[in-house]
Amino acid sequence: MGIEIIIKIAAIGLLTAILGQILKQMGKDEIATIATIASFIVVIIMVLNLISELFSTFQTIFNF
Amino acid sequence: MDIILKIVAVGFITCIATMIIKPIRADFSIFIAIAGGLIIIFMIVNYLTVIFATFKHLINITGVSSGIYSLLIKIIGVGYLIEFTAGICNESGNSSLGDKVLLGGKIVILTLALPIVLSILDIIMELLPA
Repeated sequence: MGIEIIIKIAAIGLLTAILGQILKQMGKDEIATIATIASFIVVIIMVLNLISELFSTFQTIFNF
Repeated sequence: MDIILKIVAVGFITCIATMIIKPIRADFSIFIAIAGGLIIIFMIVNYLTVIFATFKHLINITGVSSGIYSLLIKIIGVGYLIEFTAGICNESGNSSLGDKVLLGGKIVILTLALPIVLSILDIIMELLPA
Protein backbone atom coordinates (compact mmCIF):
# COMPACT_ATOMS: atom_id res chain seq x y z
CA MET A 1 0.00 0.00 0.00
CA GLY A 2 1.74 3.12 -1.12
CA ILE A 3 1.57 6.58 -2.47
CA GLU A 4 1.74 5.36 -6.06
CA ILE A 5 -2.02 4.86 -6.31
CA ILE A 6 -2.56 8.62 -5.92
CA ILE A 7 -0.09 9.35 -8.70
CA LYS A 8 -1.71 6.60 -10.79
CA ILE A 9 -5.19 8.09 -10.45
CA ALA A 10 -3.91 11.59 -11.25
CA ALA A 11 -2.02 10.25 -14.28
CA ILE A 12 -5.07 8.39 -15.57
CA GLY A 13 -7.11 11.56 -15.17
CA LEU A 14 -4.58 13.69 -17.04
CA LEU A 15 -4.10 11.13 -19.82
CA THR A 16 -7.79 10.62 -20.47
CA ALA A 17 -8.41 14.36 -20.41
CA ILE A 18 -5.74 14.85 -23.09
CA LEU A 19 -7.04 11.83 -25.02
CA GLY A 20 -10.58 13.15 -24.89
CA GLN A 21 -9.44 16.55 -26.17
CA ILE A 22 -7.55 14.95 -29.07
CA LEU A 23 -10.46 12.68 -29.97
CA LYS A 24 -12.87 15.62 -29.86
CA GLN A 25 -10.58 17.62 -32.16
CA MET A 26 -10.56 14.69 -34.57
CA GLY A 27 -14.33 14.77 -34.56
CA LYS A 28 -14.82 11.44 -32.78
CA ASP A 29 -16.98 12.59 -29.91
CA GLU A 30 -18.51 9.18 -29.14
CA ILE A 31 -15.10 7.53 -28.75
CA ALA A 32 -14.06 10.37 -26.45
CA THR A 33 -17.12 9.70 -24.30
CA ILE A 34 -16.34 5.98 -24.20
CA ALA A 35 -12.73 6.72 -23.20
CA THR A 36 -13.94 8.97 -20.39
CA ILE A 37 -16.32 6.31 -19.10
CA ALA A 38 -13.63 3.62 -19.33
CA SER A 39 -11.15 5.70 -17.34
CA PHE A 40 -13.87 6.36 -14.78
CA ILE A 41 -14.54 2.63 -14.39
CA VAL A 42 -10.83 1.82 -14.07
CA VAL A 43 -10.39 4.40 -11.32
CA ILE A 44 -13.58 3.27 -9.55
CA ILE A 45 -12.27 -0.31 -9.51
CA MET A 46 -8.94 0.88 -8.05
CA VAL A 47 -10.69 2.84 -5.30
CA LEU A 48 -13.12 -0.03 -4.65
CA ASN A 49 -10.18 -2.38 -4.05
CA LEU A 50 -8.87 0.10 -1.48
CA ILE A 51 -12.27 0.36 0.20
CA SER A 52 -12.73 -3.42 0.37
CA GLU A 53 -9.28 -3.69 1.93
CA LEU A 54 -10.33 -1.02 4.46
CA PHE A 55 -13.45 -3.01 5.35
CA SER A 56 -11.55 -6.27 5.82
CA THR A 57 -8.94 -4.48 7.96
CA PHE A 58 -11.64 -2.94 10.13
CA GLN A 59 -13.36 -6.29 10.47
CA THR A 60 -10.20 -7.88 11.81
CA ILE A 61 -9.17 -5.01 14.11
CA PHE A 62 -12.53 -3.99 15.53
CA ASN A 63 -13.98 -7.54 15.22
CA PHE A 64 -17.32 -6.41 13.80
CA MET B 1 8.62 7.91 14.49
CA ASP B 2 9.12 8.35 10.76
CA ILE B 3 5.44 7.47 10.34
CA ILE B 4 4.48 11.08 11.06
CA LEU B 5 6.71 12.27 8.21
CA LYS B 6 5.07 9.70 5.94
CA ILE B 7 1.57 10.87 6.92
CA VAL B 8 2.53 14.51 6.32
CA ALA B 9 4.03 13.61 2.93
CA VAL B 10 0.95 11.65 1.86
CA GLY B 11 -1.28 14.51 2.94
CA PHE B 12 0.72 17.09 1.02
CA ILE B 13 0.97 14.95 -2.12
CA THR B 14 -2.75 14.19 -2.05
CA CYS B 15 -3.54 17.88 -1.65
CA ILE B 16 -1.30 18.89 -4.52
CA ALA B 17 -2.54 16.09 -6.81
CA THR B 18 -6.14 17.07 -6.06
CA MET B 19 -5.35 20.72 -6.78
CA ILE B 20 -3.68 19.83 -10.09
CA ILE B 21 -6.39 17.47 -11.28
CA LYS B 22 -9.40 19.58 -10.22
CA PRO B 23 -9.49 22.06 -13.15
CA ILE B 24 -8.77 19.27 -15.64
CA ARG B 25 -11.09 16.56 -14.41
CA ALA B 26 -13.11 17.56 -11.39
CA ASP B 27 -14.66 14.08 -11.00
CA PHE B 28 -11.29 12.45 -10.35
CA SER B 29 -10.26 14.75 -7.54
CA ILE B 30 -12.67 13.07 -5.13
CA PHE B 31 -11.16 9.67 -5.98
CA ILE B 32 -7.68 11.00 -5.22
CA ALA B 33 -8.96 12.34 -1.91
CA ILE B 34 -10.50 8.95 -1.02
CA ALA B 35 -7.29 7.11 -1.95
CA GLY B 36 -5.13 9.49 0.09
CA GLY B 37 -7.35 9.17 3.14
CA LEU B 38 -7.37 5.39 2.89
CA ILE B 39 -3.57 5.25 2.55
CA ILE B 40 -3.19 7.30 5.74
CA ILE B 41 -5.64 4.98 7.53
CA PHE B 42 -3.70 1.90 6.39
CA MET B 43 -0.52 3.50 7.72
CA ILE B 44 -1.93 3.95 11.22
CA VAL B 45 -3.62 0.54 11.37
CA ASN B 46 -0.56 -1.10 12.97
CA TYR B 47 -0.53 1.52 15.70
CA LEU B 48 -4.22 0.93 16.36
CA THR B 49 -3.49 -2.77 16.83
CA VAL B 50 -0.81 -1.94 19.42
CA ILE B 51 -3.16 0.45 21.24
CA PHE B 52 -5.97 -2.10 21.35
CA ALA B 53 -3.61 -4.82 22.57
CA THR B 54 -2.62 -2.51 25.44
CA PHE B 55 -6.29 -1.85 26.23
CA LYS B 56 -6.92 -5.61 26.22
CA HIS B 57 -4.07 -6.08 28.69
CA LEU B 58 -5.50 -3.36 30.95
CA ILE B 59 -8.96 -4.94 30.77
CA ASN B 60 -7.50 -8.33 31.71
CA ILE B 61 -5.76 -6.78 34.73
CA THR B 62 -8.83 -4.90 36.00
CA GLY B 63 -11.15 -7.84 35.48
CA VAL B 64 -13.86 -6.02 33.54
CA SER B 65 -15.87 -8.43 31.39
CA SER B 66 -14.43 -8.75 27.91
CA GLY B 67 -17.88 -8.45 26.32
CA ILE B 68 -18.03 -4.78 27.26
CA TYR B 69 -14.50 -4.31 25.94
CA SER B 70 -15.30 -5.78 22.52
CA LEU B 71 -18.46 -3.66 22.41
CA LEU B 72 -16.37 -0.57 23.12
CA ILE B 73 -13.89 -1.47 20.38
CA LYS B 74 -16.77 -1.98 17.97
CA ILE B 75 -18.19 1.44 18.83
CA ILE B 76 -14.80 3.07 18.22
CA GLY B 77 -14.55 1.31 14.84
CA VAL B 78 -18.03 2.43 13.81
CA GLY B 79 -17.10 5.97 14.82
CA TYR B 80 -13.93 6.04 12.71
CA LEU B 81 -15.65 4.49 9.68
CA ILE B 82 -18.66 6.80 9.84
CA GLU B 83 -16.48 9.88 10.31
CA PHE B 84 -14.40 8.95 7.26
CA THR B 85 -17.45 8.32 5.08
CA ALA B 86 -19.24 11.46 6.21
CA GLY B 87 -16.12 13.51 5.48
CA ILE B 88 -15.95 12.16 1.94
CA CYS B 89 -19.67 12.80 1.41
CA ASN B 90 -19.29 16.39 2.65
CA GLU B 91 -16.22 16.94 0.50
CA SER B 92 -17.92 15.76 -2.67
CA GLY B 93 -20.57 18.44 -2.17
CA ASN B 94 -23.21 16.12 -0.76
CA SER B 95 -23.37 17.51 2.76
CA SER B 96 -26.95 16.37 3.40
CA LEU B 97 -25.91 12.80 2.59
CA GLY B 98 -22.99 13.21 4.99
CA ASP B 99 -25.40 14.26 7.71
CA LYS B 100 -27.53 11.16 7.05
CA VAL B 101 -24.44 8.95 7.27
CA LEU B 102 -23.58 10.57 10.61
CA LEU B 103 -27.14 10.02 11.83
CA GLY B 104 -26.97 6.37 10.80
CA GLY B 105 -23.69 5.95 12.65
CA LYS B 106 -25.15 7.54 15.78
CA ILE B 107 -28.14 5.19 15.65
CA VAL B 108 -25.88 2.15 15.21
CA ILE B 109 -23.66 3.27 18.10
CA LEU B 110 -26.70 3.81 20.32
CA THR B 111 -27.98 0.33 19.46
CA LEU B 112 -24.57 -1.16 20.24
CA ALA B 113 -24.42 0.71 23.56
CA LEU B 114 -27.86 -0.40 24.77
CA PRO B 115 -26.58 -3.58 26.52
CA ILE B 116 -24.10 -1.45 28.51
CA VAL B 117 -26.92 0.85 29.64
CA LEU B 118 -28.98 -2.18 30.64
CA SER B 119 -26.08 -3.65 32.64
CA ILE B 120 -25.63 -0.31 34.46
CA LEU B 121 -29.34 -0.39 35.28
CA ASP B 122 -28.94 -3.93 36.63
CA ILE B 123 -26.07 -2.81 38.86
CA ILE B 124 -28.12 0.10 40.18
CA MET B 125 -31.09 -2.17 40.89
CA GLU B 126 -28.84 -4.54 42.81
CA LEU B 127 -27.39 -1.71 44.89
CA LEU B 128 -30.80 -0.31 45.81
CA PRO B 129 -32.36 -1.86 48.92
CA ALA B 130 -35.37 -3.87 47.89
